[in-house]
Amino acid sequence: MATNGKIRETALNTYIKEVGGAVAAQLEACTRCGICAEACHFYLATGKPEYTPIWKVELVKRLYEQRFTPLGRLKVALGLAKPVSEAELREWVEYDYHACTMCQRCSLVCPMGIQIGDLIHMARSGLQAAGLTPEDLQQALDNQLEIGSPLGVDDDTFDERMEWIQEDWEVDLPIDKPGAEALLVFSSIEIMKFPDNIAAIAKILDAGGIRWTMSREAREATNFGLYAGSDELETFIAQRVIGPAKRMGVKRVIVSECGHAYDSLRFRIASLMGETLPFEIVHITEVIGELLDSGRIKIKPGVLDEKVTFHDACKIQRRGGNFDQPRQVLKQLAGDQFVEMTPNREEAFCCGGGGGVIATKAADTVRRAAFTVKIDQVQKTGAKKVAMTCSNCRLQFLDCVDHFALDWEVLGIAQLVADNLVK
Amino acid sequence: MNWTDAMHFVRGPLFSAALLFFIFGMLYRLVTVIALGWKRDHAPAKSSKVVGGVLNVLRSAIIFPFVPRIREAANRNPITYLAGGIFHVGLFVVVMLGAAHVLAWESVLGFRWPTLPLPIIDFFAAISIIALIVLFYNRLSNPVLRLLTRTPDYINLLVVFLPFLTGFFMTHRLLLPYERIYTIHVLTVDILLIWIPLSRISHFMFYFITKPRHGARFAQRGAKP
Repeated sequence: MATNGKIRETALNTYIKEVGGAVAAQLEACTRCGICAEACHFYLATGKPEYTPIWKVELVKRLYEQRFTPLGRLKVALGLAKPVSEAELREWVEYDYHACTMCQRCSLVCPMGIQIGDLIHMARSGLQAAGLTPEDLQQALDNQLEIGSPLGVDDDTFDERMEWIQEDWEVDLPIDKPGAEALLVFSSIEIMKFPDNIAAIAKILDAGGIRWTMSREAREATNFGLYAGSDELETFIAQRVIGPAKRMGVKRVIVSECGHAYDSLRFRIASLMGETLPFEIVHITEVIGELLDSGRIKIKPGVLDEKVTFHDACKIQRRGGNFDQPRQVLKQLAGDQFVEMTPNREEAFCCGGGGGVIATKAADTVRRAAFTVKIDQVQKTGAKKVAMTCSNCRLQFLDCVDHFALDWEVLGIAQLVADNLVK
Repeated sequence: MNWTDAMHFVRGPLFSAALLFFIFGMLYRLVTVIALGWKRDHAPAKSSKVVGGVLNVLRSAIIFPFVPRIREAANRNPITYLAGGIFHVGLFVVVMLGAAHVLAWESVLGFRWPTLPLPIIDFFAAISIIALIVLFYNRLSNPVLRLLTRTPDYINLLVVFLPFLTGFFMTHRLLLPYERIYTIHVLTVDILLIWIPLSRISHFMFYFITKPRHGARFAQRGAKP
């Protein structure tokens, strides 16, 4: 972490290091049209112009212009350029860490197709390197680096929780079982807060006849390196899953209902490591879809007799493409009682708690404000049950259901499937 | 220098210099961006990235880039969408299909293509001028745009506005004798050509990197761009 005075230099050097062709082309393409604001629930809920997605990368943009463009360099030489200051970097912590989940909804409305979420991730990287990461997010990252889990799940806690789940839910949780074809990885949110989810997924995999195992070493799929914005730490943390998976020789790594773990492991880590992985990485929702399609599992049709709607998670649906499998589940379980929110699928609003926002206490107010967009959407469907495929979304929903005293039931797709398996 | 000399200068040496500056300036911008390096993507794609990228550009080119991907977002800021869209269509029609402009293209490229009748061109020029004024007003009045807009963004609008305005005056024989307004019109075009590589008006070139990339990334992840 940078000491005082070094903060500015460290942040700016990180940005300079991270500028590649893709970043430059995107920064060059922006015409400052401001349309991205209209896609962002943080802006829509607060009306704060500073929450305009592209404004969240303003410092990166300014630095790029001053270092990489001829006119920018001329302005610097003539003393006409406004340098990025430490005070500004501190100001941008709020915009980049509190008011963005990197859900990429803005990239869909950008006429130039700029991946603003990726650029905000880059904006975080400089702040992280300079030691400006919000305190509690940094603490969680430190926990993950030192103990192996942001929630402090050490070896003993892990063993205890697993034993407890096996007994109370009457499931078998194989750990480090040789010869498994699939490695199942969880987030500590599930281990600590949604143990029923672990039991549910175990039941589904067993019912589907999959030879699977968990791993003591690869017991944490969440990646706070990704949240903080450090590619280096993200890679380091992900190695704890990739390494054991390689050694076990599994064909697949199944990621449980954790959006960020899926995003990082499925779409980012191979490129960060610079290699093609010898196994595929799938989300549990994809596995459920395969098992239902092949008839290896069956669920009871029509058991949900109340209206139920589905929340598309940013990392699993918009950024992960798993739109149809959860809908297939809900259509079977609820029939006509399954109702869509508007907008949905790629266009859906994210819950507002992702990207480490829910782990940042200082972001509580803006996080809950962003959720009001979701409240509006759900209320328009008339449903009191909301299902989703991401435990991070679920945490945000549960917190906001409590905060806003909503009478909703928050459901996980895996749990719905497990509870309604045809034996 | 009288107006005739000035006319010969702006459409002769100055135009050639401006055009060369434009071409080499844009090439420089493109090469410096590409030379910054591109990381290889090792994650397996859920659907073809090439198809996704190409389709995304075609969709934008054929259907008109300003058809909003998320309608409810566009409805919250219709001015930017409509005025921005109308301006770009107007720009294309006037510059590429106006008879006088096709002659100018012919003098540079050596070949020509069919044109549209003057009243149609005139209509598109007029709505483009109105759109630019609306976009200027939008930058002043919309709180998000007020925050985002910097001096060069206003210069961009002005530098694009002037050729439209002088062209419109010239067509309608307004304000100044033909030779003078023609000279001023070509001068504003020369200025525009020089300003493009120095400014964000160059976004149209980077569009052909960022738009297919967006399509490829969403396709890779199994989502519609």
